[in-house]
Amino acid sequence: SLSAATSAVWLAAYGLFVLSQNSMVLSAAIFITLIGLIIYLHFVKIDQESLLVIGSLGIQVTSSYASGKESTTFIEMSRVKDVVINEAIHMQKVIYYLCILLRDPGDPQGVSEVVPLFQSSKPRLDCLIEVYKSCQEILEQRKTAPQSS
Amino acid sequence: ENSPAPLPERAIYGFALFLGSWFGFMLYLIWAYVPETWLFSLGLTYWPQKYWAVALPVYLLVAIGIGYILLFGINMMSTAPLNSTHTITDNYAKKQQQKKFQEEAIPALRDIPINEVNRMFFLPEK
Repeated sequence: SLSAATSAVWLAAYGLFVLSQNSMVLSAAIFITLIGLIIYLHFVKIDQESLLVIGSLGIQVTSSYASGKESTTFIEMSRVKDVVINEAIHMQKVIYYLCILLRDPGDPQGVSEVVPLFQSSKPRLDCLIEVYKSCQEILEQRKTAPQSS
Repeated sequence: ENSPAPLPERAIYGFALFLGSWFGFMLYLIWAYVPETWLFSLGLTYWPQKYWAVALPVYLLVAIGIGYILLFGINMMSTAPLNSTHTITDNYAKKQQQKKFQEEAIPALRDIPINEVNRMFFLPEK
């Protein structure tokens, strides 16, 4: 966690300072902690994840980081086979996670790839069921939609 | 045929192993504790260095300890990641054949695809 890492770096820097009596160690530790915090907020800490499903177009997954950066991934509807709740073993636990199954071009029944969603917020099953029901409502409409001409 | 019952042959094997392991243990103790000069005076000169009497058990115990950690690590490495298709299907499920549906018979056992399972679990409203 962030506070544990910061405390460890500062305690180590204080220990070095006591040994070496050089105050540059303390300034260096503060600088390193600042740089590390900025890197963490921009590349690691995800604030919000959102899923946008448009029945005729595709699915868009957006993650917004704490520094304001947003990264999006768009998957066309023709590549999407289904959206399901899958269970898998992750770090000595079994978790439920929502994922998009992508069609296999060679095999109509097969799945070529699994795209897990909400990887950093990891919502629990009751929340996932709500999202799953909404996604299924939209995905069912694409079967009854008129074929592309 | 194979049965776990105690048979006379098995009793003899067990006793032979028991005597053999006692003999091995006594031999190890003699080798580790009796001073070299006494062994030489008996004419037994070609025995391994006594260093190994301590080193081998230490090696064995350290290997067992590392084995615990290694096994844990191997398990973690062979768990499929969350984005792999191995969490959904495998070779046997892909190649399974559809059996014909018979009236009034229990349907044949098969691997049900994950989207059907999800529909059954999560979709029906009360």
